[in-house]
Amino acid sequence: MTELLLLSATGLMLSLFLGLLRVLLGPSAGDRMLATQLIGTVGVGMLLVLSVLLDEPALIDVALLLALLAAVAAAAFTGQQEARHD
Amino acid sequence: MNTTNLLVFDGLLLFSIVGLAWASLATTDERRSVILFMAFGLVLAVAWGRLLAPDVALAEAAIGAGLSGALLLAAVRKQSPGSSHTHANPDRNYSESGAKVVLQWLVTLLCAALAGTLAWALLHALSSAPHDTLPRAISDNLVASGVSNPVTAVLLNFRAYDTLLELAVLLTAVLGIFSLGQTTPGYQPAGPVFDGLVRWLVPVLILTAGYLLWVGAHAPGGAFQAGATLAAAGVVLRLTGRSRIGLPDGFVLRIIMAAGVGVFLLVGLTLLLLGRPFLGYPPAWAGALILLIETAAMLSIAATLLLAFVGGQPQSTAVNAAANRQREENSRC
Repeated sequence: MTELLLLSATGLMLSLFLGLLRVLLGPSAGDRMLATQLIGTVGVGMLLVLSVLLDEPALIDVALLLALLAAVAAAAFTGQQEARHD
Repeated sequence: MNTTNLLVFDGLLLFSIVGLAWASLATTDERRSVILFMAFGLVLAVAWGRLLAPDVALAEAAIGAGLSGALLLAAVRKQSPGSSHTHANPDRNYSESGAKVVLQWLVTLLCAALAGTLAWALLHALSSAPHDTLPRAISDNLVASGVSNPVTAVLLNFRAYDTLLELAVLLTAVLGIFSLGQTTPGYQPAGPVFDGLVRWLVPVLILTAGYLLWVGAHAPGGAFQAGATLAAAGVVLRLTGRSRIGLPDGFVLRIIMAAGVGVFLLVGLTLLLLGRPFLGYPPAWAGALILLIETAAMLSIAATLLLAFVGGQPQSTAVNAAANRQREENSRC
């Protein structure tokens, strides 16, 4: 079981690394933001695996918060234009 | 669990943190820099989790990866209205006067000196004294603190002074934000998809804030993380262009802004009158008093962070409603 978790943690890390390449390469801001969202999802998975692997149940709460706030960040990025003063 | 098996994992994590920090600082495009900073916050939250510091990981996930990203994106958008891409010309940045280059090197050298001093201090502290006296002192007195989470015990009981002063700093900051004057009316009304997302997201964020506040007594969590989560609910509400974003009007808002410091001081002074030291809770009451102070602190922190996103004194809802009605009429024409 531990080996499986170790393997998945490292696998998730590799996928995060590939996501990082897309964040760095872009080319558009949308690409970077989508890749950042992907990293957020990978981070959630990673924290869940780590919480079992390191026997730290509080990391599940961190994963929950990361998932929620990633949605807030995406909302802020796609966000509306500010209403103009008329 | 032996941690040597996670060596590859740790190495890649470290590499991506440093790489993202460098990329975020090196880019000349502000929007790109903000997105890289958000990715940096995400990876940093995972790293704090890996270091078994879930309290810090929670704060980093809420503030570093979520709220400050939203704040910075809004700031970048405000700075360059109309154009989504603000490609600063790299040539211009680099060919500016030599003073800038000198300044850059000076900052680099100072940063390196600071890092060196910190590393030396850390090595010194690790080698000279047994470094587990503080954790032991905390765990010895944890029973008397009223909570079973050592971080909350330190923040709200053993070193409550520190937290009181931190809340005073936040109050000063929000007074500065208030002095910026009235804010803009807000954002345009959201489309159906975004609106639907927010309808789900806001209740879950409020529920999570309450959970984090409550769980702080015996597990990682507490007022700061809960306040940041609550503020995030207000941020998404503002992004959908609603006139009501959970901030009350006028006098009530001022009470909430000052509630953290106010309740803290009230508890401390009442204890003084009863013949106990300032903020020296009686053990039987400690748990309840800490929860009371944390609830007030959460509301103050949430209001402060949300006002930072709003960027000034919110307009009264009557004015907002009038503006919204005007906008609806305009769009109908």
